[in-house]
Amino acid sequence: MSISKKTKAFLGGSIVPLVLVIVWQYVASSGYIASFILPSPGKVIDTFVTNFVEKAYATHIAASLKRVMIGFLIGTVSGFSFGLLMGLSRTAEKIFGPFFNVIRQVPIIGFIPLIIMWFGVTELPRIMIITVAAFYPVTLNTFAGIRNVPKEYFELSSVYGYKGLKLIRRIVIPAALPSITTGITLALGMSWAMLMAAELFIQTYFGIGTRIQLGRDKFNMALVIVGIITVGSLGFFMTTIVEQLAKALDRGRIIQKEN
Amino acid sequence: MSVAKGTLEIRNLSKTYVVDNNPLQILKNINITFPAGAFVSILGSSGCGKTTLLRIMLGLETSYDGDALIDGEKIEGPGSNRGIVFQDHRLLPWLTVGENVAFGLDKLNRKAKKLLVDEHLKLVGLSGFEGAYPAQLSGGMAQRVAIARALSNKPEILLLDEPLGALDALTRMYMQKELERLWELEKITMIMVTHDIDEAIYLSDKIIIMSSRPGIINKIINIPATRPRDRASSEFMQIKAEILNEFHLGSEYPFAYAI
Repeated sequence: MSISKKTKAFLGGSIVPLVLVIVWQYVASSGYIASFILPSPGKVIDTFVTNFVEKAYATHIAASLKRVMIGFLIGTVSGFSFGLLMGLSRTAEKIFGPFFNVIRQVPIIGFIPLIIMWFGVTELPRIMIITVAAFYPVTLNTFAGIRNVPKEYFELSSVYGYKGLKLIRRIVIPAALPSITTGITLALGMSWAMLMAAELFIQTYFGIGTRIQLGRDKFNMALVIVGIITVGSLGFFMTTIVEQLAKALDRGRIIQKEN
Repeated sequence: MSVAKGTLEIRNLSKTYVVDNNPLQILKNINITFPAGAFVSILGSSGCGKTTLLRIMLGLETSYDGDALIDGEKIEGPGSNRGIVFQDHRLLPWLTVGENVAFGLDKLNRKAKKLLVDEHLKLVGLSGFEGAYPAQLSGGMAQRVAIARALSNKPEILLLDEPLGALDALTRMYMQKELERLWELEKITMIMVTHDIDEAIYLSDKIIIMSSRPGIINKIINIPATRPRDRASSEFMQIKAEILNEFHLGSEYPFAYAI
């Protein structure tokens, strides 16, 4: 019997989680660690089920998803525009580049006290830090992608009279696309990471991070783990969608990689 | 012969670059006439300015002394009366073969475009490949597509910049036959830059031999009109010996005595 490539990949990928769960189960049931510190996998599954039965958990997930989506979208669109501008114009690069490169060295979490002072404990600063988190990688990768467009393509374009907007739309952006989609995929990961920071540092009633906080406050580690698993799965799911979209947009070069 | 279109004239042309504040003369007093419908090769070692000359003919290089005229009119920039095939096929990887061939046909409607694409893919023996991506093609096939792209614009003059330089020896010889067939079929002027002596003799009506620093014309050799040419004939060998002598690579003993 032959096993398909996909099944093999899935089985291969399952080994580590499976071993982890077995070790976890063993340690949890050994009694060395108090159950409120390390709940057993069974307890976590229980919490998972009860959480998902409650309608409230859906509200928390929705709140988090909304934050990530808005921040990620604004960050991606503005990052793409800014990267495009700096990539196309040496003048823009000279004006904005140094400031951008200094400011992005500051971990985003470092700005939280400041933006709370300015905007209060509201939804705005939460979305803002996710936006900034998505903005950096998209800007950097769009910029790099454009600067790395082979000069041969520009030569070809001038032979065929491609210039201005047509040149950007038909040559520059498609040529830079692999780099741009890499930036977008990274941005999504950063958005999820910063979602946690946003929800843990800027108090809110709704969000997966809020549930994790609640679990900590109540010594309910099962709740914390459920939160972690929820964030992980949602992040994985969304990243997969973005990666598939990127592949669909880039058929010609995906073939190249497979060969 | 009627006054066919596609005559290219270079008159008293000189070109100097400035490198580190020192003027470097690339081309010195070049005079060539490329008659309409002729196949002319420019032969020379690297650095002789043959690529610069081609860029001037293409219209990518416009600052020089002297004149470059097509059918009596000054070359102001790239134009659809000239096609170009580069050494690298320079197909855009995100476009299909069909879309690549249609690259210069933007002004036409869909139907006219498809007609021209089909016609030219058939011409280069690649009917049915319009949906493939460049990454799926071999080097020889990709170069055929590049030739189809250049010809689909119906140029009067086809410029070939070492078009077969990246191919293996056998594919190269097949492609030389292909080029000859296309030239006979299309009846346009073809100007090829090459450093392959056999290729130049096999294909050309006229060979222009250039030497470097500054690039000047050393010699112009007219090849007798008989076609197809026999690469093993004594006539072929004699021309080759003559050219090799120009490059100081000739045998001390003429081959006739060396046998």
